[in-house]
Amino acid sequence: MVGVLQYAKQRVDALRGNYETQRIHEDDLGTHFQLLLLVVAVVFPIAVALAVSTKQSGVVTSVVDLLPGGYAVENYREVLVDYQFGRFMWNSLAMSVVIVVGKLIISVFAAMAIVYYRVPYKDLVFLFILFTLLLPVPVRFIPLFQLMNDLGWSNTILAITVPYLASATTVFILRQHFLSIPTSIVETAKLDGVGPLKFMLFVLLPMSKGVLVGVSIIMFVYAWNQYLWPLIIIDSEANQVAQVGLQLLQGDVQGGQLSWSLVMAGSTLTLLPPLLLMIVFRKPLLETFSIQQK
Amino acid sequence: MSTREIFDSRIESGLLLLPTLLVTVVFLYYPTALAFRTSFFDSSFGRAEVFVGLENYVELLTSSGYHQSIIISVVFAAVVVVGVVVVSLYLTFLIHEVDTGQGLYLISVIWPYALPPAVGALVFLFITHPTLGVLTGPIESLGVEVDWFNNGSQAFVVVALAAIWKQIGYNVIFMIAAMNNVPDTLTETAELDGVGGLRRLVSVYIPIMTPTIFFLVIINTIYAFFGTFAFVDLLTSGGPSNATNILIFNLYQEGFSFFNFGIASAKSVVLFVIVGVLMFVQFQITDKYSYYGG
Repeated sequence: MVGVLQYAKQRVDALRGNYETQRIHEDDLGTHFQLLLLVVAVVFPIAVALAVSTKQSGVVTSVVDLLPGGYAVENYREVLVDYQFGRFMWNSLAMSVVIVVGKLIISVFAAMAIVYYRVPYKDLVFLFILFTLLLPVPVRFIPLFQLMNDLGWSNTILAITVPYLASATTVFILRQHFLSIPTSIVETAKLDGVGPLKFMLFVLLPMSKGVLVGVSIIMFVYAWNQYLWPLIIIDSEANQVAQVGLQLLQGDVQGGQLSWSLVMAGSTLTLLPPLLLMIVFRKPLLETFSIQQK
Repeated sequence: MSTREIFDSRIESGLLLLPTLLVTVVFLYYPTALAFRTSFFDSSFGRAEVFVGLENYVELLTSSGYHQSIIISVVFAAVVVVGVVVVSLYLTFLIHEVDTGQGLYLISVIWPYALPPAVGALVFLFITHPTLGVLTGPIESLGVEVDWFNNGSQAFVVVALAAIWKQIGYNVIFMIAAMNNVPDTLTETAELDGVGGLRRLVSVYIPIMTPTIFFLVIINTIYAFFGTFAFVDLLTSGGPSNATNILIFNLYQEGFSFFNFGIASAKSVVLFVIVGVLMFVQFQITDKYSYYGG
């Protein structure tokens, strides 16, 4: 099990390009050319969205129309205020932060109990939690909808956060990481008579910073991008999230009441939070992925 | 003997596990049990439930619309999985081959991991729009009339392309780690033997990366079945003439357009079985994989 950490580190080093490689070939221009083409293909749709979001109308008839226009401030203001994206984004943010923080706290608790307590049946409990990987939202949303109605939670932030709090993935990743912390450190803590709370706050959490950040990014992206469940359970615009806000824009633009430049401004806004987080925290994110795969 | 199990209070460990177990039981296991139960009832809004035994399942077995949805889902998953894996493998290979700009290339192709499916859908709707899409002109100049609002096969292609685009990032993240893990000596030997370019990818890297590729095939299949709801909802609403009506969208319609909760629950159970089979296969593979890393 100690091997996990070394293994993960190797991978991350490789990802960072820290490899001491002795390449016997030079960079091939053809390879760069193909890469550039593919990168352009992957980035193109979003580049178009970004360009169009700054124009007066969404009509693009030539390449020149893809140059940035002068209506950026006006368009984004209109989407944020008149089309309530300020509100939707705020609701999405609240939903995502509650899910991330809640998941982290209760998953750290659960993983700590599973790794550091000598109690019977804990492997069974871990399996019980892991088994929920079989129960993603698409399998449950019909009965969950009925349950929310019974609880009176429909159309509230409780409905779009609480069902997401338990996380087999997070508990699994944290457990793997805890198992990679050397036993000598754990035993020293025990000899020093450190209690569970102190152990968690002063030993476990400081040694898990990277993983906690990585898991947070994975969970934020997951929560922010939820579409199906809020679509079903939230029915007032005041409580709606950005993803479903996009659906409202889509309805208007198909009906001809809205310019595409505003739809692209709304899309760009909705993309920004997860994209920025991913770019800023890509190192811990990639490290955490390598634990997950293991 | 060294151990990590430094605490032994059953009450503490129980309290630590309680939040996760509570959410798991109430919002994951209970709704699933409810879905099984409701699948044996005729159930809808505002009317008493009537026990109907296996009638809902019999209806699914005999419904040609549902059979069509199954076939569409399977073909869609096949197209998406093959598309994602082939494109991602080639991209990963190109990135692996260059020395300069590796980090920049990597982030430019893994960012769609953060892309909200709803944003991806709207951007694709815009760039391939039959009358004002940026790509419509160039495609039509090749002699294809872009008419995917009415043409089922074209709609299928548009949804599949959007779905593939979003999933490339996640795949490259895992593939680059696996490819960087291939021993350099192997690459060098291959090059000395004159095995260059694509042949090295096919006959050296891919065989070694098989476990990662299998893992991604399963993840991508689950994604194609369940994670693509927003693409279908925003691009085609399952149309035209049900050409893109995959199982998850079909289930959504059953529940929230027709309000047949009995039949919708039976459909949820079918999805549960599909997830179960896929997870079981993945479990078998991951089991082997954990020994593979050494």
